[in-house]
Amino acid sequence: MSSPYVFRPTRSPQEAANWSPRQILATDLRSVRGRAYPRVTGMFREKSWVFFEILLPFLATSAFVFVYRALQAPPEYIGFVVLGGAMTSFWLNVIWMMAQQLWWEKSQGNLELYFAAPMNIMSVLFGMAVGGFVMSSTRAAAVLVIATTLFGVTFAVDQWFLLIAVFLLTLAALYGLGMVLASLFLMWGREAWHLTQLLIEPVYFVSGMSFPVGRLGVVGSLAISILPLAVGLDAMRQLAFADSAYPLGTPGPQIEALILVAMTVVFLLVARWALRVLENRARSEGRLSVRWQ
Amino acid sequence: MSGTELPAAVGLASPEWGGFDPARTRGRGAADIRRSFGVAARLGWQMEANWTDPVLFFIYSVAKPVSSALILVLMLEVIGAGSRLDYRAFVVIGSALWSFVISGISGLAWSVLDDRERYRMLKYVYVSPSDFLVVLLGRGLARVAVGGMGAVITLGIGVVLLGVPFDPFVVNWPLLVIVMAAGIASIVAIGILLAAICLQTRQEAWSYPEAVAGALFLISGAVFPLAVLPAPIQAIGLMTPLTWWIEGVRDALFPGGLTAVGGPGSLFTSLGSQGRPDALQILVALLATGAVATLAAIAVFRTSDRRAKDRGLLDQTTGS
Repeated sequence: MSSPYVFRPTRSPQEAANWSPRQILATDLRSVRGRAYPRVTGMFREKSWVFFEILLPFLATSAFVFVYRALQAPPEYIGFVVLGGAMTSFWLNVIWMMAQQLWWEKSQGNLELYFAAPMNIMSVLFGMAVGGFVMSSTRAAAVLVIATTLFGVTFAVDQWFLLIAVFLLTLAALYGLGMVLASLFLMWGREAWHLTQLLIEPVYFVSGMSFPVGRLGVVGSLAISILPLAVGLDAMRQLAFADSAYPLGTPGPQIEALILVAMTVVFLLVARWALRVLENRARSEGRLSVRWQ
Repeated sequence: MSGTELPAAVGLASPEWGGFDPARTRGRGAADIRRSFGVAARLGWQMEANWTDPVLFFIYSVAKPVSSALILVLMLEVIGAGSRLDYRAFVVIGSALWSFVISGISGLAWSVLDDRERYRMLKYVYVSPSDFLVVLLGRGLARVAVGGMGAVITLGIGVVLLGVPFDPFVVNWPLLVIVMAAGIASIVAIGILLAAICLQTRQEAWSYPEAVAGALFLISGAVFPLAVLPAPIQAIGLMTPLTWWIEGVRDALFPGGLTAVGGPGSLFTSLGSQGRPDALQILVALLATGAVATLAAIAVFRTSDRRAKDRGLLDQTTGS
C-alpha cells in the first residue's frame, strides 16, 4: 500500500507547509494571539499578582521617594523616582518573561514544539511581549497614579506627542532587546538564571533609575548608547518635567528618540538573525529537547 | 549458583544482630535531621555554583548588592549630601545587609519553585523520609551564604572605595555576633513564610520574594530613618525584626552613629524619653519580634503544607 505522505526535503516547517503569504500571516497572527492568551488569562485566574506585582513594587518605589525626602531633595527628584519606578515594571517583564522564556520553554519541553510548528518563532516572542505588556503596563500605571497622587508629583509636559512617541519607542526597543536576550539566554543555558540577577540592580544603577543618568558621566553616556531603559527614561524625564532644571550631560529628547528608533531596528534585526542561527544550530546539534542545561 | 557475588546491601541489609531495626521506620531524630539538612545544603550549593567558574560566580554574587549600594550613594551625591560620611555609612550598611535579606527570603521560596516547576522533583522530595521543612532550610542555606558574601564585599567596598569610616577597635563585637545570629534566624523565618506562599502560587511567583523584600525595605529603616514615615507605618516598622537587626548591626559597627529607629520626630522617641534605643533594648526587641515572626512562619508553613497536599499542588506545573 502506498503512503499518502510524500517525503519532500525542506529547510523548515514553514517551507514544508507550502502556504500562501496570506496563510502564513494568518498563522503568525494566530501564534501571537495564542502565546499572549495564557499570560492575559493567567492574570485573571490567579489574582495574587495584584498584591505582589502592584502593591509591593509600589512600596519599593516609595522607599526611594523617602530617601529623597529624608535628604530634603527638590520635588522633581521625587518625580524622577516615580517615573523610574513605573518603568522598572517593563524592564522586569522583559528580563523575567521574555529573556528567560525560551530557555524556560526548553526546560518545560515546549521549545521543540515551537520549532516544529509551521510559524515564525518571532511571532511567539511577540505574543509573549503582548501578553507581558498587559501585566507590566497595569503595574506601571498603578505605580504612576498612586505615587503621583500620594507624593504630590506634578508633571509639566510641553510636548505630549513626543512624550508618547518616546514611551512607545522605549517599549519597542526594550522588547526588541528582550528578543535578543531570549536567544542568548537559550544558548547560555543555566547561566541565564544568574544573568537575570545581573541584569536587575546593575542595570537600575547604570540606567539612572533613581537619579538623572547624566550624573554618571561616561558610564551614563555608554548606558544611553546601549540600554533602551536608560535613554528612554532620560528622554521621558526631560519631557515630563519640562519646567525643572534638568541636569545637563545627556542629549535632548528628540535625539534620544532617534537613538531609540535605531535601537529598535537593530535589536529586531539582531533578534531575527540570532533566532535563525540558534534554530539551525539547535537542529543540527539536536539540543532542542535537552533539558535543564 | 553462578560464581558472581552480589554486592552487599550495606545500607539496606539487616542489622548485624539479625533483627529488625525500628529506627528505620521511626526515624533517628536529630541524626536524620542533621543528615537531611547537610545533604540539602550541599545540593543547594552545587545547584548555585557548579555551573560556572569561581570568578564569574563571584561577579554575579557581588554585582547586585554593590550596585544597590552605589544607587544610594549616587542619590546622596546628586542631592549634595555625599560629603556626609555618617549618612553614607548609614546607606552602605543598610544596602549591604539587604543582600542578606533578599538572598535569605528568595533562597527558600525559589527552592519550592525550582523543585516543583523546573526540576519537577518536589513530590519525590516530599515523600522521602526527610522532613520537608528541614530540606527547604538546607536548600536555602547556599543562597544565604551567597548573600553574606555579597554583604561583606559591599561593606568592604564601602570602607575602601566610598570612604565609610570604620574602626575595628570601636566595634561592639559581642553585640554584632548576637544580632547577626538573631537577624539571620528572622530572615529565614520570613523566607519560610514566602516558601509557604509559593507552595500555593503559580510559576510567576519567581518575582514575589523580591517584591516582599522591596516592601520591607520601606519599613525597616534600611536606607533612611523611620522618622520620615507616617506614624502608623513607623509602628509597623518597629514590629519587624529586620528593623531591629539593622539597627543592632549599625549600633555595633558604628556606636553612636545615625539611628534609623530613634531621632527627632520618630515614634520611638515620642513613646519614651530616649532619643535612640540602647543595645539592650535593640536585643530584646529583636528577639521578641524575631520569635513572633518565626512562630507565625512555622504556623503558616504547616497550614500551606496541608493545603498543598489536600489540593494536589505539590506536583503542579504552571506557566504563561
